[in-house]
Amino acid sequence: MKAIIIGSGLGGLLSAAKLSQSGYEVDVFERLPIVGGRFTNIPYKGFQLSTGALHMLPHGPTGPLAQLLEEIGVNVEIVRRKPNVVIRIPRKRGDTDYKYGHKDILFEDFRTQFSLLNRIKLIYYIVSTRKNPPTGQSFEQWCRKHLDQDWTYRLSDAFFGWALSLKAADVPVEEGFAIIENLYHYGGPGVPMGGCKGITNALVNVIRSNGGIIHTSSEVSSLITEDGKVTGVIAEGKEYNTDIVLSDIGHPATSKMIGEETGILGMDKYAHNAAELKPSAGIKICLSSDKTLIGHGGVLLTPYAKRVNGINEVTNVDPSLAPEGKHLTMAHQCVHWNDMDNLEKEIQLGLEDLMDIFAGKEYEVLLIQSYSNDWPVNRSPSGADLKNKTPIPNLYVVGDGAKGKGGIEVEGIALGVKNSMQDLLIK
Amino acid sequence: MKSGEYTMKVNDNCVGCGQCTAFCKLDAIEVRGKANMTAACIDCKTCSAYCPVKAIEA
Ligand SMILES: Cc1cc2nc3c(=O)[nH]c(=O)nc-3n(C[C@H](O)[C@H](O)[C@H](O)COP(=O)(O)OP(=O)(O)OC[C@H]3O[C@@H](n4cnc5c(N)ncnc54)[C@H](O)[C@@H]3O)c2cc1C
Ligand code: SF4
Ligand code: SF4
Repeated sequence: MKAIIIGSGLGGLLSAAKLSQSGYEVDVFERLPIVGGRFTNIPYKGFQLSTGALHMLPHGPTGPLAQLLEEIGVNVEIVRRKPNVVIRIPRKRGDTDYKYGHKDILFEDFRTQFSLLNRIKLIYYIVSTRKNPPTGQSFEQWCRKHLDQDWTYRLSDAFFGWALSLKAADVPVEEGFAIIENLYHYGGPGVPMGGCKGITNALVNVIRSNGGIIHTSSEVSSLITEDGKVTGVIAEGKEYNTDIVLSDIGHPATSKMIGEETGILGMDKYAHNAAELKPSAGIKICLSSDKTLIGHGGVLLTPYAKRVNGINEVTNVDPSLAPEGKHLTMAHQCVHWNDMDNLEKEIQLGLEDLMDIFAGKEYEVLLIQSYSNDWPVNRSPSGADLKNKTPIPNLYVVGDGAKGKGGIEVEGIALGVKNSMQDLLIK
Repeated sequence: MKSGEYTMKVNDNCVGCGQCTAFCKLDAIEVRGKANMTAACIDCKTCSAYCPVKAIEA
């Protein structure tokens, strides 16, 4: 059996590795000269920056991605450090920024910042929402009705901004609670040794050792369909036959590749739904410093910053991600769709935040990277994902436009790949 | 070559991801929300292949 994978992002590589391990003859086509999509390293001034992700897996060594990697036989060390998630708050209660100093509290202690009444309510909600998960509104709307306090909004915007590059107002409440549930179930974030490339490189090795081929600088331009099934692809003008195709380029691009006049049942609806997906946008600011800026290998959430949602300093876990004696710190901020036309201003606000957050510390801005539209943080905002299937029974979509429920970022990709594989390999 | 004489152009597809600048050997691209070639650019076209959204045209 032959499988063709369009795109060598994490979703594509995971699928290719799993299929090649299960006996498929695998060809991966990647448009770029490099492999890994938004999940690999780019060397820059001696630092290992990344094409996208912040060198961090949302659920660390015990999440869905780590489990799938183990299943495929990929050996990557994923390190979860304590403190795992820390929240920076103003030193004085009542302050609304970091200008007059700050203190850091552990994520576990987020309850201490609620009013007494809300702390009591929270105990009740933790039980009741598990039994009857709320539906039909945004996470923010739910908070307004149940935990109406400045802290609730700040913390949820920082958390979802960091984890999904979305505002709480854009996260469906069902997805919000599924994510919180997963956080308890799978645990907090961790850093893969070697950064993103530590994982994607290891997957490439598995694919190659199983005889799979990865074609770089090879763009797939169209799909060949016959009787409602896909029989091949055209890449760089050459035709390649196949039994199945997995597309790692998202539903909208996949649906365009299928084309309109195919007569395939359900195509109109599929194309329509795909076009509705709004990719999430964000800005990553990469910093270099001689001394550590945050002092630990976990996440620092910054709910009192104007724009920055969270920061990590991966060199506290893997010093090889920076030149000797240097640290690599990365700040992430969500960019709301309404602010897309003011990217300059959003960047400026992010830089100002960092000056407050790291007041009195020395650092240098290495690179400012922004992501949106066709190269986004996430192809579909969490909670809005279409599933992995398409109207063509032997064509699947994987990657961050087809994440599994409650799956943050690459964890969602792993869940989606697992679902597709269950389907395909049983067939 | 004087500033503004290079022929590489960045179109509206650019998202500002900075991938091109990392692969330019001459450090000739400034990125802030969008990429801009500086006077150091020698039109070698290397960067263009690394752009994930086909934003760099010769
Ligand atoms: C700023 C930022 C921070 C992030 N932080 C984190 C984080 O800390 N943790 C985390 O888990 N996730 C994070 N993410 C998300 C994560 O990086 C992505 O969800 C993930 O890398 C997407 O993988 P993918 O397989 O879906 O797609 P991609 O990585 O986009 O892969 C798709 C590939 O297909 C190729 N392609 C496109 N069209 C064609 C074609 N026609 N023919 C051939 N090839 C084609 C593309 O070049 C690309 O390589 C972050 C993302 C960003 C942008
Ligand atoms: S690689 Fe392309 S999208 Fe990214 S900054 Fe350069 S020109 Fe813009
Ligand atoms: S054309 Fe060559 S020199 Fe000019 S910006 Fe691109 S890589 Fe750099």
